[in-house]
Amino acid sequence: MSTRRDFLKVSLLAGGGLLVGFRWTEAAEGAAAAGVPFRPNAWVRIEADGRVVLVVGKTEMGQGVRTALAKILAEELDVDLDRVEIEQASPGPEYTDLGTGGSSSSMDGWDPLRAAGASARALLVAAAAARWGVDASGCRTEPGRVLGPEGRAAAYGELAAEAAARTPPETPPLKPAAERRLIGRRVQRLDGPAIVTGRARYGLDVRLPGMRFAVVARPPRFGDRLAGFDSTGALAVDGVEDCFAIPGGIAVVARSTWAALAGRRALVADWRAGAGGDFASEAHARALREAVAEAGVTTRRDGAGRAALAGAARRLHAVYEYPFAAHGAIEPVAATARVESGRCEIWSPTQTPNAVQAFAARTLALPPDAVTVHVTLAGGGFGRRLGWDFDLEAVEVARRIDAPVQLVWSREDDLVHGYFQAASAHRLEAGLDASGRVVAWDHRKASTPHNARRRPSREQLADPQFLAGSSWGVNDQPYAFPAVETSYRVVEAPVPIGPWRSVFAPSSVFARESFLDEVALASGRDPLALRLELLGADDAGVPRIAEPGGARVDRLRLRRVLETAAERSEWSRPLPAGRARGLAADVFHTETYVAHVVEVAPRARRRPGEPPFTIERVVVAIDCGVVIDPDGVAQQAESGVYWSLSNVLGETSFARGRAREENFDAFRIATFADRPRAIETHLVPNDDERPHGLGEPVVNSFAPALANALARLTGQRPRRLPFDLAALG
Amino acid sequence: MAEVTLTVNGVRRAVGADPGTPLLWVLRDELGLTGTKYGCGEGYCGSCTVLEEGAPVRSCQVPLAQAAGKRYTTIEGLSNDGSHPAQRAWLEQNVSQCGFCQPGMILEAAALLARRANPTEEEIASALGDHLCRCGSYPRILSAVRLAARRAAAGGRP
Ligand code: FES
Ligand code: FES
Repeated sequence: MSTRRDFLKVSLLAGGGLLVGFRWTEAAEGAAAAGVPFRPNAWVRIEADGRVVLVVGKTEMGQGVRTALAKILAEELDVDLDRVEIEQASPGPEYTDLGTGGSSSSMDGWDPLRAAGASARALLVAAAAARWGVDASGCRTEPGRVLGPEGRAAAYGELAAEAAARTPPETPPLKPAAERRLIGRRVQRLDGPAIVTGRARYGLDVRLPGMRFAVVARPPRFGDRLAGFDSTGALAVDGVEDCFAIPGGIAVVARSTWAALAGRRALVADWRAGAGGDFASEAHARALREAVAEAGVTTRRDGAGRAALAGAARRLHAVYEYPFAAHGAIEPVAATARVESGRCEIWSPTQTPNAVQAFAARTLALPPDAVTVHVTLAGGGFGRRLGWDFDLEAVEVARRIDAPVQLVWSREDDLVHGYFQAASAHRLEAGLDASGRVVAWDHRKASTPHNARRRPSREQLADPQFLAGSSWGVNDQPYAFPAVETSYRVVEAPVPIGPWRSVFAPSSVFARESFLDEVALASGRDPLALRLELLGADDAGVPRIAEPGGARVDRLRLRRVLETAAERSEWSRPLPAGRARGLAADVFHTETYVAHVVEVAPRARRRPGEPPFTIERVVVAIDCGVVIDPDGVAQQAESGVYWSLSNVLGETSFARGRAREENFDAFRIATFADRPRAIETHLVPNDDERPHGLGEPVVNSFAPALANALARLTGQRPRRLPFDLAALG
Repeated sequence: MAEVTLTVNGVRRAVGADPGTPLLWVLRDELGLTGTKYGCGEGYCGSCTVLEEGAPVRSCQVPLAQAAGKRYTTIEGLSNDGSHPAQRAWLEQNVSQCGFCQPGMILEAAALLARRANPTEEEIASALGDHLCRCGSYPRILSAVRLAARRAAAGGRP
């Protein structure tokens, strides 16, 4: 075994393969600096039969992460993509930092995977050169083989054992971008064949011999406490075996999912009302509107801040409102667990395997290494599977019975009892000078910080830094205003709040980009020209790089996505009567730049429930750095449009302490009937050397671009999500 | 408990479960065919779609008693090897994101292609109109169905 200081560990596999261990996270640098011995947390195996196995700690939820990571490795290792198999990592001493969120997987994997692939390739070349007694510089590779002088050739598999005995190079040569065969090219998703044949295994598809199925009866309203229950009816249901209380509710255990659900219906529980049982979203929305009437804790101040408004020749303001929303992944959350003789095994589509392991161990008073977590495919994640509540429910049931159990959340459980995107209100005010230039910008946000996974402390709720961290899109806005003030007012709610696709950004960007459009209209400016100006298009005095709220923004790149979206949508060409366009842009903290232009028309024949408009065309311009797969980018762009469109059409609302939208008849997801006639994705060339996130950044600027288009089409500006469709008709 | 006999993917199966049990749960929990997905249990999402005598039905809405004697095709039985034109078109168009809704979408599309060799965009959108995809794969589903239709016209199945 040889170790290249703080970077790579190479060893021989049983059976003659090559094992390359490397480090995924940047924590490695810190550890090395502190003198902690290098310890890999990611692995590639090159088996003697030539198979390449990449062990990944990222959860596939539909974002294509497994394919993207396999491509990055295959490119530098120089193998065909179909030679790479993906093995899902389980938490353990080698895998201490698994987890998928923040649109960061390809970004974080880029350097380590390329270095690991290039090192392995260099080792294989060196092994071949030594075997042939030639200089390594006379050897090259083609996918899966080393080629040497005079027609010599050897497959990676045959060289693997010899390569394992060598010391990896200090700086393995990386492929020049021009020679890439995979990165930047379209491929078919690796998980595709399993999905279309029904072989793909999601959280709900785990099947174990002798397993049971369980559902949990949960408090019907916020704050309800269990005073007692009568399980006679439930136990009389054929197939129901047991009913017992667990933290948070009453578990019904049965031999099939259907029996468990039927048993739960037959259960009689006595719930006592507590605080929150009268919560209603309409009253909460009023509280949020009232809250933004006053400024909260300042999260950013540039120049004179809000005080600069006083000197403005003209002032404009508007209030925008944003709803609560469930995640509504089509696969409801579920986990399977077995607790047996001091060990626990969990099968879960979790986005956070290490937390599941740690909390399960704590629940069972076991050491973490007695808990094994198997990560399955997820039927959509969107942040919901960053919670471990359902995993712990599975553990609580499994510890009380002598069989493995799948803890299933029904659709109603999933839409009513999960955690939610927080409702918010935003009040924006701009001060313009006599020439119409924006000289002051005030953005107040009122909302409820995340409370579902961890409750914020009283100190945190008053801490500008904590609140700034809950204000993406507000305090990190990219425009160069001479004076800026942003603030946050906490409005408490009994609703569990947690991560949701793009987290804090959708509401803020909707408000900010809508308001900028209002400013443009009111001052007779073109909304594109106004944005470009605010990004320094004609003013060398505006710095190209800004670091608002710690996020890095390259204003030139944001201008380029705006210009590309405008050009591709023929922004400057007038539309026929009865058509209108809207524009919006955003930069996400992953340094991903996105602009949307949306074109709308009145809907000719309107069926009940349909919006009064049709979306004729959506143009999305994206700069996400290095493009791993152009079709993957387009797929995420389309996904972002539909996600945001659902946010425009539907919400989760609460009455008497409970969500009203309990199933998909009421919780509105965009369908075929809502489809835009065309969604076009355009990649903006850039000289970045790494990929940036996509899953979340593609969501934010669609809704405001649509609102801006509708304001022009109808004269009515939607300032609230979901849109009031009746008012627009 | 009475036994109910039905044919799934060409195989006769006798199931001893409550006759009110939805076919969805019979397939998933009794027969181990987990390719048929649970998304809502109320007929709203379409992810549980299977073919009953060749016609799409939502298996969460079919009680076992009603399935007696009928022939069903689930995603596992649409083809032996993923070679149905819809399955192939789904791969070529990179339709799937999380993929959870796709078995239902594919079976609905297969049934549409069996009755309309060359469906229009409106026909595709209306056949699949009640299917939900939270990942937003709709545009790719449209192109995949069109591609499958072209392929079938050029000599493949169905
Ligand atoms: S599960 Fe049957 S339609 Fe949703
Ligand atoms: S692909 Fe995820 S729900 Fe359709």
